[in-house]
Amino acid sequence: MIRLSGRAFVTAALAALLVSCAGHGGDGASATRPSGTHVSARSSAGPANGPQVLGRSVPARLRIPEIGVDTPVMRLGLAQDGSVQVPPITAHDRAGWYQYSPTPGQMGPSVILGHVTVGAYGDGVFRHLDRLRRGDGITVRLENGGSAEFTVTSVRTVAKADFPTKEVYGDVDRPELRLITCGGPRSGDGYLDNLIVFAALSTASH
Amino acid sequence: MRRTVLSAMAAACVAVLASTVPAFADGASAAPTTRPSSASEPSARPSVPASAEPSAAPTREPSRAAAPVATAAPGKGRGQVGVVPSGAPDTGVTTSSDGSGSDGMLIGGGAAGALAVGGAAVFLVRRRQATGA
Repeated sequence: MIRLSGRAFVTAALAALLVSCAGHGGDGASATRPSGTHVSARSSAGPANGPQVLGRSVPARLRIPEIGVDTPVMRLGLAQDGSVQVPPITAHDRAGWYQYSPTPGQMGPSVILGHVTVGAYGDGVFRHLDRLRRGDGITVRLENGGSAEFTVTSVRTVAKADFPTKEVYGDVDRPELRLITCGGPRSGDGYLDNLIVFAALSTASH
Repeated sequence: MRRTVLSAMAAACVAVLASTVPAFADGASAAPTTRPSSASEPSARPSVPASAEPSAAPTREPSRAAAPVATAAPGKGRGQVGVVPSGAPDTGVTTSSDGSGSDGMLIGGGAAGALAVGGAAVFLVRRRQATGA
């Protein structure tokens, strides 16, 4: 009898331990997000024969194979305080194009924003933007069926207090793209820095 | 014989209890804490996702066209970016780490509680067997 009770105790303890392990496993699994296809071939940096300029067409989709991003693009305007709007905090958040900037492929800096994290929902669409390097490719599908392919020229992390407004929104002499998200150390429920990817148009199709 | 059955039943009850407690902890924490926090977040930030897109542009553009261009643009006149926003974009919300931490604590607490209940049940059964034998 005593032996059987001992077994019962061991069974109970094992059951409880198993359950606690399973709970932690579930938590970890929900935090991860499947990554997209990884393309090893990297295009050469910089346009060779000068910028090709496209006509105005609103971006519909953004693809960044290097970090598994393939997202629809929404329009963003201005918030009440004069800052740029950001996409809503949702489970499957999207990137957003700042509608007062040029469309991708037009002359000037086209600006697309996305979240790095979306609170309780976990990773944002631009979670791994910091992994981009000079020479990586970015493709923007346009509403008119065309596409604009950009090549990363630089990736910068800047303090929000010293946001380089002129470098991001200032005039340039070719079609360029800026991808913006947050980064750096956390403070309260936000981040102290912005991560900005600068890219230039490499090829375009109508 | 009866006590053998009794101890087996106690073990089964503990196993069932142990599996239900973390389920309660998970269900109780995940749903209510995530929804309200996400509902309050968008209000602090710009506005609603899709439906606001067409309406936001026409209403804001005329009223803001004069002010932000005058204050934020570097004085070149009409730039490639029609209206230059002020400040830095807020593209990250970090409440996820707090949420997962409390979830983990709840699950761990539930498992510990189940273990304690199981131990107590087995101890009682063994004690009854010892006094009865």
